[in-house]
Amino acid sequence: MITKRFWITLLFCLGLFNSVLAQEKKISGIVTDQNGLPLPGVAVIIEGTKRGTSTDFDGNYYISVNVGQTLLFSYFGQMDERKKIGSQNVINVTMKEDTETLEEVVVTGYSAQKRSDITGSVVKVDAEKLEQVIVSSVDQALQGNVSGVSVSAISGTPGSTSNIRIRGISSITAGNEPLYVIDGVPVNNGNASSSDNYSRISTLAALDQNNIESITVLKDASATAQYGARGSNGVIVITTKKGKQGKTKFSVNMSYGFQNDAVEGAVPLTAANRLELYSEALFNDGRYPTKESAERALLEGPYKEWNEAGRPEAHWDEAVRNKDAVVQQLGISASGGGEDHTFFGSLGYFNQEATVIGVGFERISGSLNLTKDLTPKIKFSSNNSGTYSLQNAFLERSAFFESPRSAKFFLSPLLLPYNEDGSFNQFGGSLPNPLYLVQHNIANQNIMRIISNNSLNWQLTENLSFGSTFNVDYQGYNFRLYSNRNYGYSVPNSGDAAQFSRSNVFYVFQNYFDYRLEFSEAHRMDFKVLQEYQSNRSYFLGGAGENFAADGLFFLDNVGTPTSVNSSFFDWYVGSYLGLLKYSAFDRKYILDLSYRREGNSRFPSKSRWGQFWSVGGAWNIFREDLIADIEEIDNLRLRASYGVTGNANIELNQYQALFGYSIDYGGEGAQSLSTFGNDNLTWETSHTFDIGVDFGFFDNFFSGSIGYFKRTSSDLLLDVPLSQTTGFASQVQNIGELTNTGIEVDFNFNIVNTNNWKLNLGGNFSTVNNEVTKLPVDNNGKEREITTTTTNIATGHPVREWFMPTWAGVNPETGNEEWFVNGVDGETTTVFNEAEAVFQGGNAVPTFTAGLNLNFSYKGFFINAQGYYAGGHKIYEGWHRYLNQPNGYTITTFNGYTSLLDRWQKPGDVARNGKFTTAFEPWERHSKFLFDGDFFRLRALTLGYDMPSELMDDIGMGSVRIYVRGNNLLTWVKDENLVFDPEVDLNGETGLETPPVKTVAFGVNITF
Amino acid sequence: MKKISYSLFTLVLLLLGACSTDSLDPTLSQSRSVEDGIVNVDNLHGILKGAHNIMSAAGYYGRDLIVNNEVRSDNCFSNGNSGRFSTQAEYLYNENTDYIWNNAYNLLANVNVIIGANLSSLDGNQEQGRHIQGQAMVLRALAHYDLLRVFGQQHTKSGGSLGVPIVTTFNGDDLFPKRSSIDEVKAAIYDDLETAYGMMDTSFDTSKTIVSKYVAKALEARVAIYFGDWDRALTASEVVIDSGMYGIIGADAFVNSWTGPGTVNVIFELAYSNADNLGPDAISNIYRFPGDAPGGYGDVQVVSDLIELYEENDVRRDILGYQDSGTRLRNMKKYPDTATGTDNIPLFRYEEVILNYAEALFETGGNALAQLNLITANRGASAYVTVTKEDILKERRKELMFEGFRFDDLTRTGMDIEILGSLENSLGKVEYPSNLLAYPIPLSEINANSNVVQNAGY
Repeated sequence: MITKRFWITLLFCLGLFNSVLAQEKKISGIVTDQNGLPLPGVAVIIEGTKRGTSTDFDGNYYISVNVGQTLLFSYFGQMDERKKIGSQNVINVTMKEDTETLEEVVVTGYSAQKRSDITGSVVKVDAEKLEQVIVSSVDQALQGNVSGVSVSAISGTPGSTSNIRIRGISSITAGNEPLYVIDGVPVNNGNASSSDNYSRISTLAALDQNNIESITVLKDASATAQYGARGSNGVIVITTKKGKQGKTKFSVNMSYGFQNDAVEGAVPLTAANRLELYSEALFNDGRYPTKESAERALLEGPYKEWNEAGRPEAHWDEAVRNKDAVVQQLGISASGGGEDHTFFGSLGYFNQEATVIGVGFERISGSLNLTKDLTPKIKFSSNNSGTYSLQNAFLERSAFFESPRSAKFFLSPLLLPYNEDGSFNQFGGSLPNPLYLVQHNIANQNIMRIISNNSLNWQLTENLSFGSTFNVDYQGYNFRLYSNRNYGYSVPNSGDAAQFSRSNVFYVFQNYFDYRLEFSEAHRMDFKVLQEYQSNRSYFLGGAGENFAADGLFFLDNVGTPTSVNSSFFDWYVGSYLGLLKYSAFDRKYILDLSYRREGNSRFPSKSRWGQFWSVGGAWNIFREDLIADIEEIDNLRLRASYGVTGNANIELNQYQALFGYSIDYGGEGAQSLSTFGNDNLTWETSHTFDIGVDFGFFDNFFSGSIGYFKRTSSDLLLDVPLSQTTGFASQVQNIGELTNTGIEVDFNFNIVNTNNWKLNLGGNFSTVNNEVTKLPVDNNGKEREITTTTTNIATGHPVREWFMPTWAGVNPETGNEEWFVNGVDGETTTVFNEAEAVFQGGNAVPTFTAGLNLNFSYKGFFINAQGYYAGGHKIYEGWHRYLNQPNGYTITTFNGYTSLLDRWQKPGDVARNGKFTTAFEPWERHSKFLFDGDFFRLRALTLGYDMPSELMDDIGMGSVRIYVRGNNLLTWVKDENLVFDPEVDLNGETGLETPPVKTVAFGVNITF
Repeated sequence: MKKISYSLFTLVLLLLGACSTDSLDPTLSQSRSVEDGIVNVDNLHGILKGAHNIMSAAGYYGRDLIVNNEVRSDNCFSNGNSGRFSTQAEYLYNENTDYIWNNAYNLLANVNVIIGANLSSLDGNQEQGRHIQGQAMVLRALAHYDLLRVFGQQHTKSGGSLGVPIVTTFNGDDLFPKRSSIDEVKAAIYDDLETAYGMMDTSFDTSKTIVSKYVAKALEARVAIYFGDWDRALTASEVVIDSGMYGIIGADAFVNSWTGPGTVNVIFELAYSNADNLGPDAISNIYRFPGDAPGGYGDVQVVSDLIELYEENDVRRDILGYQDSGTRLRNMKKYPDTATGTDNIPLFRYEEVILNYAEALFETGGNALAQLNLITANRGASAYVTVTKEDILKERRKELMFEGFRFDDLTRTGMDIEILGSLENSLGKVEYPSNLLAYPIPLSEINANSNVVQNAGY
């Protein structure tokens, strides 16, 4: 200690001595950028000393300096400037952009990398693209923006979840959802709803889109290496906005819009249609000698009242429609910072109604992101957000008679929605009037999500730093149900109510060291070692009861008969160690990435809990080679390749243990029964991915993009292997089976015009993915254990869950019977469904080809942005056709059919899509008549806007003002004309009764000052 | 500064240390490992209750096994109101049509755990342990019988002899068992029932909602009747009758007995309550609409002229009723609670034992008349003067209607069955013997275990 103080004193004295001798003078000046705008926060240092200052908000600086010394001006993104002090007292500096440091920095998870240092397949989507689509959950905005990524909304209900597949399906029965990373920390997203029947609610919808800086999608083994253990399905890295040093900037974003179903969809039969079809069916069944006599009988029977009332039509599709559903958002943020701190704070409000009555989503959010230099070497940052999301949900995940969406199709048009006096028609029967129920029943779920991400980074030496991050993600969920006692299904119970709540907490601890080893200017190695621990604890509590004493009471306190109560606790833990090495050689001409991750997961037994994952990636930056660097036409040309092993552990908890479950009871007493078969050899599913690609930019980046090929082989699949049910179980999770995905991914961009006034840019991407099962378990006789449903089959040599069913041969023009091919392909036909063989129909429900296109045009302040999305090569199946789209008794008596049924056989010689009508009820028969090409194109976004001239804005004290009108999904093209539903369905590929995707027209304004 | 660095360093070490294999052990809160799940006799009782819960599911005795045997018979048809049971009623099932295969084998897995438990290693009353193992064995016999009568080839045209795989251990050596022959399965059933009867002690039988000692004999009689083992049926029935524990319910109480738990005629029934019921999938909801007009499910409708079967004063006529403005004949009073489905479902009634006894007596030359008239006397029906086989079957039909016996009575006596469509229209006949009388083995089983041979015709 004494020595240290001694030296400091000595240095101080020397400095003093020095300054006495030298000729000191005061220098001032202003530092501006290339465009003449003042630069605040520029470091101004006297070279060779530690003395210095920085520019103020207006770019001014003042410093005392000796003649002969040199001032060094440095600022991020600008080339360093040196000025030797001579006679002048004012030194103004214009800094020049440094293209090297300005190179796009891509956040890839635990670290950020420069674009040309990346060896993997990475696509970054910035906020500007994301905000072109108005959605409750930001993942949906990725649709069409990233090659190799297919996004399909599971439901159009606001706040619902989406299916995202990055490069197809990597697993058969384990999860295929990508890993989400927010600000460097793996987080859990998905459906929080505790019900299998009501709308889904996404925890990702808790993120305010206004706060997202960018989303990066990591696709290959090298890119996902940092998350190797969970990287098989790709990684989605979300970066939130941070403050920047400088004057506090305020920003206000507002938009207000109207939505309707993007595709009108099936049109229900009118009562007049039904009368016609019903009469015909009765005649066909031989119950009446002519159609006319059948019609007369109906008009005296079930259609009498309707006829006498002047044949009114119910139009249930209109009655349950929320026309021009409102969507509005408001975001206010402030950001800025001083010398040693930055901040970004925001408030957000989002409100979206569904296109079906009684359903909607609302979100209130706030965030505060701070950084603070505690000492020059220790930086602290804290990102915090809190969100409350509320969704009015409804029964949409099957055919529920109480649901307004089901009512649209299932309710008879003879039942009118309203009485003559305008009150709700409280008719009896299987399907109650949903208009009444929407108004009198309650189904809402809410999520309170709080994420707090805190990290410290300590620069130990110039080349070594240590960091530590602690992240808490709290997801509180509450679901409340109430059914009234006056009308509907709960009348016999005198009303019922239920409430469920879940408190779900995720913790992540990370500790890491970063070390940079520089052999010379040209050779550099960056090391990272990281340790991570993640845990989840989830508590659930729920109860239900019935019998209310009076109306207007909704809570369980007031039920006469409690009917159920349940609570549970689940947890899981993940521990991991990571090592990364990036070697950049010969002035960044060659890049080598190595990674190794060891991860343990509580889903596996202790002996096989840990998995090892690694990757190697290399890039050759050809454009930096001397020969090429001189060619002006080539701005960028690089070759990259990677290979590695990633993992997947996306299975349910406690699958490895043979278990008794106790969640059952008998006769009011607790009971136990075998619940899990168990497999004490269970371990990680792994994927081996090979990637090769070229990135390029030519003619001053007039044309740029990338082309890549990948092959991913997933093996030791965590497969629900079908067991002989004589074991008492249907399946057991085993590490067995193999499948491959191969594909080509192309991203491109044309900078067609780029002048001060005119800008025109056309970009796009397309990708293919081919999926094939290459290995399945066999039984004791060596026979492959295929996994078959009534519509799909999993077998080697085919894509996962390829459609598999009997083939429809059409309607026999002579008899009017629907027929199928006996052998499933051609030749002999049969009218007996059980005689027709089920065969592969080609393709599964996952698109094999996706493409996106975007166009940006601007002239002075006016601009147009457009985005399109194409998905194809897959097939989708129409659900519920037995009840709604077959010429049988259901569509004309019990429920209701679509107008597509009017194309039916009536007499010999008719060529029709539907067979002859009958009043009989047919059993479920699933076949290729209801399987459709899923190809569609959508105009995802079209924005017309105007940026006010900045001079004008300055005068009124505004930074910038942008006004725009935006349309989403304005156009949809569907390949298969017989498909009566919106082609965008969830990845099980079956159309359901969820709300469909919407088209939106919105007006908005963005203001900064 | 030094302090900070030390504490940081310590923190790092702590966290690194925290990441060991053991620290990643998950908590088992709602479940227990199979080893920890059986430590005393009481646990065996817990598994036994769990086994009853499996039986009470809608896919098994809660609905499907009973209703399938009614809609495929001349008692009922499916009107298709909610699309349920029309596939079965119209004999259109295929290998994708789910039936009790998974439920019954799941039941077997659980009861085999009880039977396989080493009693002496468990705490608690050993006698009670033996009794529980006996109860489990009765259920094992029941599951094998259910599988055999649904999937066995005893009534198929091709004259097959295949029964179903016999499973007597949980997670045993052979996870891909073959189908045993009909005779082997039958022998295993009788064997289990005899052993079980010997192991059980009525002092441990405290509830009618848990399988009891005399269920072993009642089931034995039922199986024996099915296969025409008349002597065995005779003696087994007599044991139940001689126990003196049960009686025929009187005419006045008959209809109401379907609402109350554990009346005198009930030997064994499945428990349902306000807190534990099948909701919309309850058997009551398939037999009728919740109100008079079409609504809910209510697919299973009674053949219109069936009401003629009963005499005017027969109390069993009151089980029937009409819905939809008097146009649809219905089972209104067996399993009556349509609101929540809280009625217990009797699986063994004393009346069935008497009818089995009467039939066995008839076949062996005994006095069937007296037994048969015990039934009619308690139903307000005229007594028989003479007895034919047809009389016995007719009385069975009248007494056990809607309880899932009719299909087996038709097939075991080799009768043809008329197929009715959703409008009660005739769709032809299933002529005995027929491949349609054996259900297809589920495709999932065939896919997973190629040792199992599919029934002919599927």
